[in-house]
Amino acid sequence: MRLTFPRVLRSEWSKLLSLRSTWLTLGVMAVVTVGLAGAVGYGVHRSVLGGGGAPDVARAVSAGFLPVDFVVLVVGVFGVLQMTGEYGTGSIRSTLTAVPRRWPVVCAKAVAQAALTVPLMTVVCLGSFLVCQAFLGADGASLGDPQVPRAVAGAAAGLVLTGLLGLGVGTLLRHSAGAITALVAAMFVGPALLGAALPADRADDVMRFVPTVAAQAMYSVDGSGNPFKTFSPAVSALVLAGWVALLLLAGTLVLRRRDA
Amino acid sequence: MIEAQALSKRYGGTVAVDALSFAVKPGQVTGFLGPNGAGKSTTMRMIVGLDHPTSGTATVNGRPYRAHPDPLRQAGVLLDARSVHKGRSARGHLLALAHTHGIPATRVEEVLGLVGLEPVAHRRAGGFSLGMGQRLGIAAALLGDPAVIILDEPVNGLDPDGVLWIRNLLKDLAAEGRTVLVSSHLMSEMAVTAEHLVIVGRGRLLADTTVAELIARVAVGTVVVRSPDATALRDALTATGAVVTGVEPGLLHVTAATAEHIGDVARAAGIALHELTPRRASLEEAYMELTGSEVEYR
Repeated sequence: MRLTFPRVLRSEWSKLLSLRSTWLTLGVMAVVTVGLAGAVGYGVHRSVLGGGGAPDVARAVSAGFLPVDFVVLVVGVFGVLQMTGEYGTGSIRSTLTAVPRRWPVVCAKAVAQAALTVPLMTVVCLGSFLVCQAFLGADGASLGDPQVPRAVAGAAAGLVLTGLLGLGVGTLLRHSAGAITALVAAMFVGPALLGAALPADRADDVMRFVPTVAAQAMYSVDGSGNPFKTFSPAVSALVLAGWVALLLLAGTLVLRRRDA
Repeated sequence: MIEAQALSKRYGGTVAVDALSFAVKPGQVTGFLGPNGAGKSTTMRMIVGLDHPTSGTATVNGRPYRAHPDPLRQAGVLLDARSVHKGRSARGHLLALAHTHGIPATRVEEVLGLVGLEPVAHRRAGGFSLGMGQRLGIAAALLGDPAVIILDEPVNGLDPDGVLWIRNLLKDLAAEGRTVLVSSHLMSEMAVTAEHLVIVGRGRLLADTTVAELIARVAVGTVVVRSPDATALRDALTATGAVVTGVEPGLLHVTAATAEHIGDVARAAGIALHELTPRRASLEEAYMELTGSEVEYR
């Protein structure tokens, strides 16, 4: 009966699944995302009927993932709460007493959260795509179109990685309110101000490193649909993964040093 | 076995624990006693690695707690603050802890039964009373069947039945050969539970002693004697070296003599005794005297 990483992982997995809020948050998020995708599809369809011209594949795909740009915040906050919830309730003391070396807790939380969100976000993004395209009918894109399966995977991966980004921010800052504020500032407020403040020729260089912009670029079919010139989906995924790694690493180092 | 070596913790300019050295031995209940703010909780948190000492070391069974391959089997800890996620059931909380060490689910049911939480094990811990929370914390501490048990103010929030239950539990755990360290700010509680005492004030060690030694050390025993012939008795006793002070007519306080000795002297002198009461200094008095100058908050 020793402490091992697979066991810590099993513990974190059971902690993730044994909270009602996990199911509530992710369930509502899934339904809202797919529902909004349908609404966007319906809206685009109406504008086509009104003589707006049929969307190309890239536009049809990005319409389906428009809701993803917003629920990404929910997923990020969900990640934050995986760690700050432990501090808020004091259960962190139980957790760190059981795993006094601490770093396995962060790793296990990240792996458990990924294990839950990868299939869920894949289903959500696939559902969003299909429901949106169903409303578009003949004008919609299909999974058989080039780049489309990759775009669906990219959208899902963007959500998963943003959730892990939240976990990193939560680990670093440990207080729910502060961590959520920091996350919103980093994902929405900061980029909006930055986009406005930077000269146009510099904006592209900076903005494509912003996590939210990178997450959007990951589901782009042809690089369009974003006000900034972004990296390719693969490089954008690396940028976002880099942020995740950086924050989780910083969070782990801080967690190891401070008093619980 | 718990050993602290010159353990210190400073928060900015405040010294919470000041070069504390002590050892807690197995097979007996050790009371960790001190006024509020004396550094008891901080010390306990440093023992299990939740707080990092500013200097000094603490070991559990010969190693720093975090260096053990099976921490929960080495030491179980109940801290004074809540350590449970409000949204998780008691069973869910214990299962999650058990998973980290591969402790079987049957052990979770066992400790739930031991602390009497079986009927509410499925309920979310956020709705638990203070007493139920304490019981859940004790269940978590016992989960790994650890050799060392550290409980911070375990009787807080428990009803009289619960207090009695804790006392017996602690004694049983010690009788099984475990190391049991229990903190309290109440001497009266420790007097009936602990055999050994580690007393701290303002982070410093005031005494590392047994309950019996503490009494003997701090106050001299007095015998209260009532006699219709007090003056003659006083002379007879003084002649044998006892120190006698008259309190009121017919009543004497005698020190430096046992009750047996006083009785014998009275009998030999043909003096009747109406009362012969050995008055031991109470532990409470001994404790107050030790910590009187070390209370941080009044």
